[in-house]
Amino acid sequence: MFLQAVLSGIVMGCVYALIALSLVLIYKSTDVVNFAAGEFVMIAGYAGLFLLDWFHLNYAVMVVLAIVLVAVFGALFERTALNRIIGFKYNAEAALVPMVVATIGLSFVLKGVVRVIPSTEEVLRLPPLFGGPPVFLGDLVLQRQDIGIVVVAVLVMVALSLGFNFTATGKALRATSQNPRAAALIGIPVRRMRMLAWGLASALAGISGILLSPKLLMTPDMGSVVMLGIAASIIGGFTSLVGCVVGGIVLGVVQNLVGIFLSPQAIAVTPFFIIMLVLVVRPNGLFGEAMRLKKV
Amino acid sequence: MSRNKIAGCIIGGLVALAASTGARAEPGVTDNEILIGMFGPLSGPLIAYGIDPVAASKMMYEEANKKGGVHGRKIRLIVEDDKCNPNDIVSVVKKFVTVDQVFMLHGGSCTGAVSAAADYINREKVPYAMLNAAGDNAVFPPTRYVFGSFQGTQRTYAAAFATFAAQQLKAKRAAVIVHDDEYGKANAAMAKATFEKLGVTVATIERIPPNISDVTAPLLKIREAKPDVILSGAYPAPAVLIAQKYAEFGMTAIPLLQSAQGIPTPSVFAKNVANPDALQNFYYTWAFNDIGDAAVRTKYISLFKAYNDNREPGPFMMSGIPSAVAVIAALEAAGRDLTREGFVASMEKLNVKDDFMPGPIEFGPKRRDAARTMVIIKYDGKSQKVMPGTYTWDGVEAN
Repeated sequence: MFLQAVLSGIVMGCVYALIALSLVLIYKSTDVVNFAAGEFVMIAGYAGLFLLDWFHLNYAVMVVLAIVLVAVFGALFERTALNRIIGFKYNAEAALVPMVVATIGLSFVLKGVVRVIPSTEEVLRLPPLFGGPPVFLGDLVLQRQDIGIVVVAVLVMVALSLGFNFTATGKALRATSQNPRAAALIGIPVRRMRMLAWGLASALAGISGILLSPKLLMTPDMGSVVMLGIAASIIGGFTSLVGCVVGGIVLGVVQNLVGIFLSPQAIAVTPFFIIMLVLVVRPNGLFGEAMRLKKV
Repeated sequence: MSRNKIAGCIIGGLVALAASTGARAEPGVTDNEILIGMFGPLSGPLIAYGIDPVAASKMMYEEANKKGGVHGRKIRLIVEDDKCNPNDIVSVVKKFVTVDQVFMLHGGSCTGAVSAAADYINREKVPYAMLNAAGDNAVFPPTRYVFGSFQGTQRTYAAAFATFAAQQLKAKRAAVIVHDDEYGKANAAMAKATFEKLGVTVATIERIPPNISDVTAPLLKIREAKPDVILSGAYPAPAVLIAQKYAEFGMTAIPLLQSAQGIPTPSVFAKNVANPDALQNFYYTWAFNDIGDAAVRTKYISLFKAYNDNREPGPFMMSGIPSAVAVIAALEAAGRDLTREGFVASMEKLNVKDDFMPGPIEFGPKRRDAARTMVIIKYDGKSQKVMPGTYTWDGVEAN
């Protein structure tokens, strides 16, 4: 029972990690916490389902299209809404609160739009990316979808790490997040980088949506999973991509163990308890950088 | 002023007061109509529990109006959306009582929401018939003006399941999984009491939050407990997760019994579970005869379509019928000289048996839950089969 709980926890933790990565990517590049990340997860799931049901697309094509749609949507939101809020300042700190409020507004808009679509009042499910009979390791049961989630999550993390460290665009994104003014001075197109960060982060949320929807079931309210992504980010450190991954996995495993050894009713409060513990013991998170003052 | 003039004023005032009292009509009742305030979740995530049941109730009232109404009075409805939200339902009910001055209230699909309105309704002494909420909190203990549970309470579902499991499935050990809300508490308590009465050991009771997203932990604990049967009182999304995880963990030899509220549409449930193995041994409770009797199903679906632009109803449509039938019967019994107290007295004496339910709709001076008889349906993802027998809760409370 213990090992099964740990294994299942690692799987869910990988999904939380993907959502956390999406959050941290945007935070690092714009200092904004994207409260609509959960809704990006949600619309990726619904987009995938409608592409399958209405247009009868091949599953692989649907996955790519759903992720691209969400990525484009996120990039367009940054360009049309957030960019306007920032105005012509390269430093986004002056517009931080309005930008966060904009993401909260976006989450309500997306939920409302999905609710209007017929059939979304029922619980729906996206067919899994990896179907077939489960894999047995002794007494342990692993669904192929679960294995797929872990593999995809690891691949995404490796790709992100390589991208940020070894590509010009990745370095430009890092430069923009560290010091937008200096990045602009050396010719990095800061606005384009921000849009790219939003597109990339939205794509990550979209991948989470495609992986999560078969497990979690789809309702317009499934975006509340963003709280678990935020919890994973805080646990791991809001400035660390590695931290997101570790935070997500820690959260997933601890939730399951609490459910088994304490009570399933305690599962809902576990993330917040861990957040409090981490903030008391290590306020920057397990892998986060120390707080630094920025000139406004 | 002289003494005679003062006496004259006082007598005149008393006469005027008596005259006005005598002339004051019952709210919502005129010579030609009876006004009923109707409500249910017509939007939001729980719309499936409201939209068709409200339409079905409306259809029964229209049928009664076609036959001349009740003692020459037509029934007129004002319909509002309560979204199954306690705050909304209280606002809607207050509007009906104070602004629209309805004769009675008819509505509510969610236990938590209807319970929130019950105090106000009893204070204002307005008769209230629930639409299709189980409403355990609002009918136990019974109060004068609230009548409900027209498709059974959680006590009824749990007692039916437990009896079926013990008598038909010959279970000796049971596991129960419910939500950690009032609904779940009532379900678990009655399941435990019934099992113990029938000599079945309750191996574990797992309580889960209604918004749970991963049921690994509770299902692992249930698997560890090695039950002969699993009872689930979960809502739609967790019900699917439970069925999926139950199949993933290779527990499909153990019958899984799910309360009806977890399955708004059986075919969608099966599609969401997406694993035929999960439905090999799957049963759910049902309060109506439409599944077992094709003639009943055809009759009410045809009627619904006739009143609703030929729209095919969802499976919860039937749950809007018994409350409307009960209200119409009680209005008839109350007579032409209709008052709220007279209507309440008629509801208390109600005992109606019709083709749509396996048991009667019945109230009493100390009883406010209408339906206590269920059937059990076996569902394999493609076809539904009514299991032999009906299961009636004997009204004995769990301790």
